[in-house]
Amino acid sequence: MNIVVCVKYVPDATGDRRFNDADHTVDRVGVDGLLSELDEYAVEEALKIVEASDGSEGEVTVLTVGPEQAADAIRKSLQMGAHKGVHVLDDAIHGSDAAATSLLLAEAIKKVGAESAWDLVICGMASTDGSMSVVPAMLAERLGVAQVTFGSEISVTGDMVSIRRDGDTATETVEASTPLVLSVTDQSNEPRYPSFKGIMAAKKKPVETWSLADLGVPAEQVGLAAAWTKVDASAARPPREAGTIVTDEGDGAARLVEFLAGQKFI
Amino acid sequence: MNPYAESAERVALRKAVADLAAGYGRGYFSERARAGEKTTDLWADMGKHGYLGVAVPEEYGGGGGGIGDLAAVCEELATAGCPLLLMVVSPAICATVIARFGTDEQKQRWLPGFADGTRTMAFSITEPDAGSNAHKITTTGRRDGDDWLLTGRKTYISGVDEAESVLVVARTEDARTGRLQPALFVVPTDAPGFEWKPIAMDLLSPERQFTLFFDDVRLPANALVGAEGAGIAQLFAGLNPERIMAASFSTGLGRFALRRATEYVKTREVFGAPIGSHQALAHPLAQSHIEIELARLMTQRAAALYDAGDDAAAGEAANMAKYAAAEAACTVVDRAIQAHGGNGLASEYGLASLLAATRAGRIAPVSREMVLNFVAMHSLGLPKSY
Ligand SMILES: Cc1cc2nc3c(=O)[nH]c(=O)nc-3n(C[C@H](O)[C@H](O)[C@H](O)COP(=O)(O)OP(=O)(O)OC[C@H]3O[C@@H](n4cnc5c(N)ncnc54)[C@H](O)[C@@H]3O)c2cc1C
Ligand SMILES: Cc1cc2nc3c(=O)[nH]c(=O)nc-3n(C[C@H](O)[C@H](O)[C@H](O)COP(=O)(O)OP(=O)(O)OC[C@H]3O[C@@H](n4cnc5c(N)ncnc54)[C@H](O)[C@@H]3O)c2cc1C
Repeated sequence: MNIVVCVKYVPDATGDRRFNDADHTVDRVGVDGLLSELDEYAVEEALKIVEASDGSEGEVTVLTVGPEQAADAIRKSLQMGAHKGVHVLDDAIHGSDAAATSLLLAEAIKKVGAESAWDLVICGMASTDGSMSVVPAMLAERLGVAQVTFGSEISVTGDMVSIRRDGDTATETVEASTPLVLSVTDQSNEPRYPSFKGIMAAKKKPVETWSLADLGVPAEQVGLAAAWTKVDASAARPPREAGTIVTDEGDGAARLVEFLAGQKFI
Repeated sequence: MNPYAESAERVALRKAVADLAAGYGRGYFSERARAGEKTTDLWADMGKHGYLGVAVPEEYGGGGGGIGDLAAVCEELATAGCPLLLMVVSPAICATVIARFGTDEQKQRWLPGFADGTRTMAFSITEPDAGSNAHKITTTGRRDGDDWLLTGRKTYISGVDEAESVLVVARTEDARTGRLQPALFVVPTDAPGFEWKPIAMDLLSPERQFTLFFDDVRLPANALVGAEGAGIAQLFAGLNPERIMAASFSTGLGRFALRRATEYVKTREVFGAPIGSHQALAHPLAQSHIEIELARLMTQRAAALYDAGDDAAAGEAANMAKYAAAEAACTVVDRAIQAHGGNGLASEYGLASLLAATRAGRIAPVSREMVLNFVAMHSLGLPKSY
């Protein structure tokens, strides 16, 4: 089974995240970034599926749309065990919205498919920066294949994929046949740490870099100018205020309740 | 490539180890040590990912990397507050000596287990009357037919209860001249005639130290590692990695203490401002940061020299790195405790136990005085004092 995994390079959530003053896009250049943590589950799931179908020649291709440093997200995925990478990189992509991102991903996936057919596209449940959770659905639409989102348990038999989806009130199991776009949650598996051999092997794995021209996508269809939504203003989150410390002088419980009630928590 | 920066792979290895170790952390380590338990699950987890075998040759299932990689793993574990002391001996000394000087049969037998961490080997050189003065080692191997009979005593040997065997530095008698020559033997921990008992130590550590007694322990011919008489060169091949690892152990503990202290002084307020705004606390921490980074740089340099095959230059650098790292670690723990006030001595903050742990770095595997003796004599050409 051949699988394409879409991985996003995002600013490190533990770091100091910023918006660009000029166009209010996320500053993806000046800050440390990494492979979106939620996409590690997608990579892990793909590796597990390929490893489980022993004997068959399955390959995992990781795909990212992003700036130069987004190569780090590909590298991390290759270190985990993915076989090859595709990086869609072009200055004109800056500021692209979800619609444009999904267009680029779809065209790149078609190009991957032209070389060797894919069976599954796996995405994360949401990026950790934009967190719209819409790219997988848009991607399925553009590729003209079925989509099952938020899978929390996946099993594959032949070309049938069985996916458990956990909702607030019910759990459902959906079956779908490949080709298919799937997004998986952080409940689906436990992403592996890259082994030392994986880290060393990643150096030698092929990574292709494709521009808009390589994908045949006109520059007018992507980037900030083509976006359907626009951020008008952004402001830094106000600094966190010092908390209230309740010193227990025999009336601790009562004062806690008083505080919680005052904040309308209870 | 920039020689002052680590490779992208080394950086990725550090990150992977740090991420994995973060799931264990200081709390896990202290709890295990206090309960008298081992950190075997962490060891196994590290082994499974190939982190303990990074320096074992690829043909034996290892990562094919160098001591620099192994030292990075050791340092990141200590930085996460859960150091693995046996990394300093098992994969660093024992695996290195066997990979470099063992026979094919010995390599086949031992290296795959070092590669995935399923085999642990302790290392014993120190004797009651031969600590700093390794020339006075008296543990001796005598020929008996094809076998060897080993007799002697060792002390302060780490992790014997966790190891399958011990690499013992001994001497063999040259049949012709009667002179004693250094030799290395692998002795199974359950060999008849071999007894070991724990030494009570005031160290918070899952690994314990032992006194070993060898009473005519019968060993097969293949227990001797490498050639008879080639012992000294072999020994030094293992001792440089040991010093590099010991240095990394220290810088890791130092980074752990420094991080704890910096986080604490940023948030603790005493006179209406975070105590980190007082230079009396900020400057010592800044100094420690500099001292630790300098020690790390020297450690990486020693590892790079060793991995490039320059044993002589690596020896000097490894000694300097070990010295600098131990000093930096002792100093930063003292400063971190001071910055914490009373909390610095509370178990919860995990710092007081580091006083003894970092202090050990000034004594083992070679004392600071012996390093200074070495540098005075070999680097400065001053009279021999040992
Ligand atoms: C602060 C901020 C400002 C923004 N400003 C604008 C704006 O001004 N105008 C505008 O139109 N849009 C803007 N966006 C939207 C931004 O471009 C989206 O983040 C992006 O298009 C993808 O949507 P998402 O991150 O929500 O992905 P999601 O739909 O949450 O992602 C789900 C999955 O899709 C895949 N995926 C998503 N993106 C990629 C990628 N680049 N490469 C590979 N796989 C991917 C991953 O598998 C991911 O787990 C902004 C976003 C943020 C966070
Ligand atoms: C926690 C721990 C773990 C250990 N694990 C192991 C292990 O796994 N395997 C192993 O073989 N050993 C191990 N050791 C032993 C360690 O290597 C020795 O303690 C160390 O080499 C010092 O030897 P010694 O204790 O005999 O001190 P001594 O040699 O008795 O030295 C005592 C003091 O005299 C000083 N001194 C001696 N000679 C001179 C001189 N010429 N000039 C100036 N000062 C001098 C020394 O620096 C030291 O301060 C361990 C020790 C500790 C504390």
